[in-house]
Amino acid sequence: MTEREQNAQPLYEVSVNVRVAWQAQSLSNAGNNGSNRLLPRRQLLADGTETDAHSGNIAKHYHATLLAEYLEAAGSPLCPACQARDGRRAAALIDRAEFRNLTIEQVVRGCGLCDTHGFLVTAKNAASDGSSEARSRLSKHSLVEFSFALALPERHQETVQLFTRTGDSKEEGQMLMKMTARSGEYALCVRYKCAGIGMDTDKWRLIVDDDQERARRHGAALTALRDCLLSPQGALTATMLPHLTGLQGVLVARRSTGRAPIYSALESDFIPRLCALASDSCSVSSFDTIDEFHAQMGALIDTTRPALPAACHATDPQPSA
Amino acid sequence: MLEASSLTWLAADYHLPATYSCRVPMSSITSALALPAPGPATVRLALMRAGIETFGLEYVQSILFPAIRAMSIHIRPPARVALTAQVLRAYKAEEQPYEISEAPISREVAHAEGPMTAYIQVPRTLQDAFRQVLGMIGYWGQASSLAWCTGIQESVPPLDECVMPLRLLQGQARLHPFFSCILSEFRDRSVAWHEVMPVVGGRVSHVLRLEVYVWPLTEVSQQGSGRLLVRQAFTVSRASV
Repeated sequence: MTEREQNAQPLYEVSVNVRVAWQAQSLSNAGNNGSNRLLPRRQLLADGTETDAHSGNIAKHYHATLLAEYLEAAGSPLCPACQARDGRRAAALIDRAEFRNLTIEQVVRGCGLCDTHGFLVTAKNAASDGSSEARSRLSKHSLVEFSFALALPERHQETVQLFTRTGDSKEEGQMLMKMTARSGEYALCVRYKCAGIGMDTDKWRLIVDDDQERARRHGAALTALRDCLLSPQGALTATMLPHLTGLQGVLVARRSTGRAPIYSALESDFIPRLCALASDSCSVSSFDTIDEFHAQMGALIDTTRPALPAACHATDPQPSA
Repeated sequence: MLEASSLTWLAADYHLPATYSCRVPMSSITSALALPAPGPATVRLALMRAGIETFGLEYVQSILFPAIRAMSIHIRPPARVALTAQVLRAYKAEEQPYEISEAPISREVAHAEGPMTAYIQVPRTLQDAFRQVLGMIGYWGQASSLAWCTGIQESVPPLDECVMPLRLLQGQARLHPFFSCILSEFRDRSVAWHEVMPVVGGRVSHVLRLEVYVWPLTEVSQQGSGRLLVRQAFTVSRASV
């Protein structure tokens, strides 16, 4: 183990609470109205206003793609499905003879992406004609969770742009399509439960007992998260890559068992509220620019390792006073 | 059965910082309706999950689970909840022949204003353990339905502001269009550990029962595909809200 790894501080959970400003983007859409209008995603807020929204699914998808690259670069194992970037992850393996009796140990040990982003092999009853066997459910929850990004209602605008596109055949000629370019500040929360790396989180049992491998996966997950916020990805980025014009918020790092506070950046006072929650077990740091965010994430990547849950090293667990 | 004097009520407030989606039981996966807040079975399962993370499997099985399956639970929804149907992409599996394709699905997503409060009645001797477990709950329903426990107090639930089974709604309550839906609850107080934590290959029995519940929420407006619900106590007339 290197000196850096020996000195790394245990980290149980991290939350990232940000206001991110994107200009002229169409990162998440709700579908289309036939072939002539792309529909933006909308969410009704509890104060009665309707605002632009950016699905957490698409953010998680791009984090997983980026994480696969970082894991490969770090020499962490990926299962054959994740090597091929199959979004089903371990569930894509069940029809292969060599993975018929897949276990949670096999998946978590053998794939850093299934371990971090979770997977679901659904249960199945045996076919009445005996053509297929029964299957038990096998799953792990994701350790990285993205909220919807919600535009601040008073700091959001939308412009309808007219685009031309070609039809399915040459005879159809040029067709018109309306797409919206949206600009504004978006509230986004991300939670990363580092302590779950290398664990069966249904039973909170350690599977990957190699500290260096857990640290590699942890570093890759944090690095991918940093990149996701600094280099936005989503729908239509081939022709509508957003202008990132601002990033402010709070990083909360919980060192021991417990939840890292998470608070909506829709609230105007979210930064002082979160900063007031700093404690011995929870460090809170705010940032106002992309470079401050980059530096703070860099420090987390360089100086932390995934903690072990209390249940893993307590022989006789007792509630603390 | 424990004496009432040996029990105490704990009230845990949860901030819901973003959108969340707890599916109404029996609603289609491809067209899922969302609950304004989690139901009683979801709370029990969350206590088990968070308990295992905090204290380990054996402690939860032997010490906490008997209390979790038997405890009284009341849930006070947030003051305002907006529900919006979202179109999402999902994998669709065909068994014969085995194929996976992508298909659009609809799922309602909720956004709340004000805390959601879970009230649980626990043995006094386990109060500290349950305080820690309540503080560890980080989501309700879907893992992306983020939640954060902002505080825990000893407090009796205000029953006229908590979700309740339709059969228990007082006959004299003024008739209002309260939001109602099916919720799941543990079958009874004798549910066994192996029924809720099935071992690999084990057969799962009917551990949950379904019942119509009424929420102290009324719909005040509709906008596009969204609808807005506002909390209203069962015993308060509309004119005074």
